[in-house]
Amino acid sequence: MATYLIKRLLLAVPVLLGVSVVVFTMIRLIPGDPAQLMAGQAATEEIIREIRETLGLDRPVVVQYAIFLRNAARGDLGHSLFNRAPVTEELALRFPRTVRLGVASMLVAAAIGVPAGIISATRHLTWVDSLVMVVALAGVSIPVFWLGLNLILIFAVRLQWLPAIGHETWAHLILPAVTLGTASAAIIARMTRSAMLEVLRQDYVRTARAKGVAEPSVVGRHALRNALIPVVTVIGLQLGTLLGGAVLTETVFAWPGVGRLLVDAVLARDYPIIQGTVLLITSTFVLLNVLVDMVYAVLDPRIRYE
Amino acid sequence: MAVRRRVVPVVLVALVGAVLTLPSFAQTTGGTLVIGRGADAVTLSFYASAAPDSETMAHVVETLFKLSPDGKVEPHLAESSQLSADGRQLTIRLRRGIRFHDGTPFDAAAVKWNIDYFRNPDNRVPFRFLVSEVTGVDVVDATTARITTGRPFVPLLAHLTHDFIGMHSPAAVERAGGMRPPDGAPYGRAPVGTGPYKFREWVRGDRIVLERNPDYWGPNKPALDQIVWRVIPDDGARVLALESGQIHVAVRVPPRDTSRLAINRALRVDRTSSLRTIYAAFNYQRRPFTDVRVRQAFNYAVNKRAIVQTILGGAARVSDAPISPGIVGYAPVMTYAYDVAKAKQLLAEAGFPNGLNVTFHHPTGRYVQDAAVAAAVQAQLREAGINARLVTMEWATYLQVTNRPVNQTDIEMFMLGWGTVTGDADYGLYSLFHSSQWAPGGSSRFFYKNDRVDGLLDQARAITDPARRAATYKQAMELIMQDAPWLFLHSESQITGLRREVQGLVVHPTERILAMTARVSR
Repeated sequence: MATYLIKRLLLAVPVLLGVSVVVFTMIRLIPGDPAQLMAGQAATEEIIREIRETLGLDRPVVVQYAIFLRNAARGDLGHSLFNRAPVTEELALRFPRTVRLGVASMLVAAAIGVPAGIISATRHLTWVDSLVMVVALAGVSIPVFWLGLNLILIFAVRLQWLPAIGHETWAHLILPAVTLGTASAAIIARMTRSAMLEVLRQDYVRTARAKGVAEPSVVGRHALRNALIPVVTVIGLQLGTLLGGAVLTETVFAWPGVGRLLVDAVLARDYPIIQGTVLLITSTFVLLNVLVDMVYAVLDPRIRYE
Repeated sequence: MAVRRRVVPVVLVALVGAVLTLPSFAQTTGGTLVIGRGADAVTLSFYASAAPDSETMAHVVETLFKLSPDGKVEPHLAESSQLSADGRQLTIRLRRGIRFHDGTPFDAAAVKWNIDYFRNPDNRVPFRFLVSEVTGVDVVDATTARITTGRPFVPLLAHLTHDFIGMHSPAAVERAGGMRPPDGAPYGRAPVGTGPYKFREWVRGDRIVLERNPDYWGPNKPALDQIVWRVIPDDGARVLALESGQIHVAVRVPPRDTSRLAINRALRVDRTSSLRTIYAAFNYQRRPFTDVRVRQAFNYAVNKRAIVQTILGGAARVSDAPISPGIVGYAPVMTYAYDVAKAKQLLAEAGFPNGLNVTFHHPTGRYVQDAAVAAAVQAQLREAGINARLVTMEWATYLQVTNRPVNQTDIEMFMLGWGTVTGDADYGLYSLFHSSQWAPGGSSRFFYKNDRVDGLLDQARAITDPARRAATYKQAMELIMQDAPWLFLHSESQITGLRREVQGLVVHPTERILAMTARVSR
């Protein structure tokens, strides 16, 4: 198991290298000049050229990449073109906030989605099942920013129960987590329902019932554990997406996380921030995938890694 | 004895009266003012180049002169100034006894240090053109500085009101380790000036906090304990944060939200004009816009008033000159009446009896309702037989695409805004309408050329008499309006939402919220 883990982690290195090359090239190919953006609309050619020189953007792309790699190997991801803040510092500041929001959203999503899926599956073909599925469909379809703004309107403006924007306390976390968790809850509910339906049809479940095992035990112990395997995959992938930064939610709630950082950096052509953030998100995704695989081994004794 | 018997009750009544009124007086000092805006500052140093930077810096770092909201240059850190007869030497007498927040004295040596730093090309300050005509700064005595220019440059005084040329503490810059391009780090993260508020904290992407300077020299003592700028990128969320009471001031309120805010008794809506002019420029060097009749036809075909009323909710001002009111040198010149028949007639005369096709580039989300305005222009042009194909792209690409040289660009018509941040007509007119300023070297991306206008703009730079200078600019603007290198649209209004307990806040036409005299009653 340990060797498997190490092998998986080592495989992450070529993935990160590949991603870094693609991102490095892509952002320099799209139109838009960070030096011009920094200097502003009214700046002269001279000023723009100066800025480009100061930032090392006038060097050949291959040289820039080599410098980037050399520094990255030492843990230095460069400095923001715009405010010279070290990229690692910016990420260290923002990533925990994104993690907090992502994890909270996932908890909300799982807390709603898994029970909803179970209820739906055990009440298959009844009105309860239909209701849950319709609500799930709505949850997936509602635009995140619409939901977020309306939650702010109701809970922050009208009822004054919660703050509208910001990230300082746990109270600030509630509305964004609910907003972000809603779509995921819907997906998890549907996945849980499908998986449960599949499992509840199995012979061993019929056997358990025939043996006289109580229904809650049948569902909770025998069926759920096996149904959870695909659900865990979905939760893992969803969490990966959320940790990539939920930029719409972060924008609506003024949550200064990694998602907004990345979008703002792309709009500003802040190359080092874009590179650093994409590498961070890639690493997170890779790690999460490994974690999900480990969880499989726990859930399913048949799964063994060498 | 009789006098004392009468005095004592009077004194008692006065004392009681004073005590009773004291609480209401005390309640308007202290407290924290929270301002929500869409973007964070980048640097609080000479390397500033955007509004959030100058807005925050203005409270900490002060300028020698100030631009009043109605466009007058007033002495501030300077007590008085005198321009020599030949217009080449500006002698500035400074106020006495002012100290920087770090205790070091503000004097002529500090003024010299600041201006010399700003204009030194080795320091690569982006806005150094503001003082590029300066050839020397001399310390006459501790409170007198003399600025010399190579040739008479009248806009200099207006340029010295610009927040980017604030007076920083030279000692603090040195202590911080200097100010390096392109962002003024490390000093630029914590500026030290003479202002009513001192820098306290900056959490990037989130908030900047200033605190009261109890030793402020000015007559208007700062009333607040703290001012906080919060970054709230989404316009809708910013308005909701205002309504929920989490912030006191929300900038750039969308026009569609104003009616809802207006009926909320806890809030009020402020509409102040801006110095930013929005226009759609024609490629002056490319057919069909080489013909003045075509350019004028476009101006007759568009109903600018309707655009301002419906799309901008009345929060803008139809342009009657290439620059906005409030700028030194502005004068109302003319507007093109909405006359579709006249537009068609002019087009026919120019050889387009059946209308014509053009491509119209515009940004999205850069100016207030920019995409909607472009769509409205397109719809109106169609009535006159002009088919305008709209092309949009995000800002960075847009800037690059519209900045190509005249022989490489295929842009025909494009929308842009221009904020005359110095408050002086020279910056608004010379930079855009002088033929030496064609992009990519300069800011004229539409390649206008009129030798008479060139001559007038050159002259006006050297005229010291304000009345004559204004007359020269008026002449130039008349020619420009008749040449119609632009579809003259409007100057933006700033719509700001405030909670009623906020008083003394100034929304300045240079698109900055100034809270030096603000109070929050509690």
